[in-house]
Amino acid sequence: MAKKWGHRIKSWMTTQMELPQDVMMDLPRITMIGQIHIYIENHRGLIAFSDKEVRLLLKHGQLLVKGKAFVIKTILPEEILLEGKIDQVVFLKE
Amino acid sequence: MRNHWIYFYWGIVTVKATGTGLERFINRLTRNGVLIWDVKKHGLETMTFKMSLKDMKELKQAVRNSGCKVKFLKRTGLPFLIRRLFKNSGFFVGAVLFLTVLFLLSNMIWGIEINGADPATEHKIRKELDAIGLKKGQLQFFVEEPEGIQRAIMNAVEEVTWVGVELQGTTYHFQVVEKNVPEEPEKLGPQNLVAAKKAVIVDMFIEEGQPKVDIHDHVKPGQLLVSGQIGKEGQTKSVSAKGKVYGEIWYKSEVILPLKSSFQVFNGNELRKHYLKIADFSIPIWGFKDHGYKTFEKEKKEKKFKFLKWELPITYIEDTFRESEHITRLYKENEAIEAAKEMARTDIKNGLPEDATIKGEKVLRQTIQNGKVYLSMHFQVIENIAKSYPIIQGESE
Repeated sequence: MAKKWGHRIKSWMTTQMELPQDVMMDLPRITMIGQIHIYIENHRGLIAFSDKEVRLLLKHGQLLVKGKAFVIKTILPEEILLEGKIDQVVFLKE
Repeated sequence: MRNHWIYFYWGIVTVKATGTGLERFINRLTRNGVLIWDVKKHGLETMTFKMSLKDMKELKQAVRNSGCKVKFLKRTGLPFLIRRLFKNSGFFVGAVLFLTVLFLLSNMIWGIEINGADPATEHKIRKELDAIGLKKGQLQFFVEEPEGIQRAIMNAVEEVTWVGVELQGTTYHFQVVEKNVPEEPEKLGPQNLVAAKKAVIVDMFIEEGQPKVDIHDHVKPGQLLVSGQIGKEGQTKSVSAKGKVYGEIWYKSEVILPLKSSFQVFNGNELRKHYLKIADFSIPIWGFKDHGYKTFEKEKKEKKFKFLKWELPITYIEDTFRESEHITRLYKENEAIEAAKEMARTDIKNGLPEDATIKGEKVLRQTIQNGKVYLSMHFQVIENIAKSYPIIQGESE
């Protein structure tokens, strides 16, 4: 109950104060440059990584990126820059 | 995103990790603050990535209990470069040595060419050059400037009237102009001796010829002293009259000397400063003190460094500051008169041939006016007044 309340206050505040939602609500911010780059902020860790598929843990659920010839250009605790040919970006609910 | 190139200075290693749970391993690394990049998967249980050398400790910690094995594939970056440089330091030392030797050889004297001198003079000049340190194999840096060399040669070698010194690359070129010493005419033609100046004869020393004047005679310039025609009348023959005729000549010298005079002298204090000038920027090497002289004269010496045929934009400069002082000389009256007399004497002596003697001197007039000494002196000088005058055939006395 308390968690839900907190969530609702946060949501209310972001809309009222016009704050960016990724900052307030721990949502991932995903930037893509065509098909070749994808830059994901606010992830919670790497789950699976191969040259065709990358699975990232988010605060709520997971993010699945599919494509070809993936190379992680940089990885930081909460940021990841992926390079390759991106075909799909899918959100998975747990 | 951070700049990766800065990691080049720390050193970059390419790591190959094998095993299960590679993703967990990556998460562990990133959480510990290790920056990794260029992560590639090769098959199921192999991946390669790059990381900084300074994060080695964290990597070892992460490897522990992870079930992964790591292997280092490639090492790049400055620390490895330096290590390799030390390993191959022979090459580096060789290269530096090579450049140093080339630099030294470019600043050496490789040839001395002397033009326009006959072998004897050339030998003398070469000896003189050896003495001032200009020889093959010497560094140009230790040799004087062309002007100095020129002066040294012209002072030391009498046969040389003028010498041009030029430095072309590593060779000194000397252009010599020799004195043309006219050879003494061995056999003199028939000649008379005539008086060169107005004088009173005091002594005669005739080697050959017929004297036509006597001691105490008063002669005028051009008057015949010794005749080259000897023998009885009608049987004369012409000879070359030789001898010396000493006559007393009167000279007058006038001197004006101010009692008070001022001039500049160096008082011996000097300060040297050394600079290395690179392009237009000079760096002091030695002599940082301020000279603090009120009046001084500055002398500048420049030495250029050369590399092969090029002149480097590096110059060695030596500045010499010499302190000068204004000195005011104030003569007392009697001192001034003595000085004026001395000046008159040197004045007369300068105009006389070497074998002349001053027999007597007399002050004609001395006045001190407007702070100046006016002195007029009279000298009696004994000198050879005989001058040869050829007898031209067919011309009678």
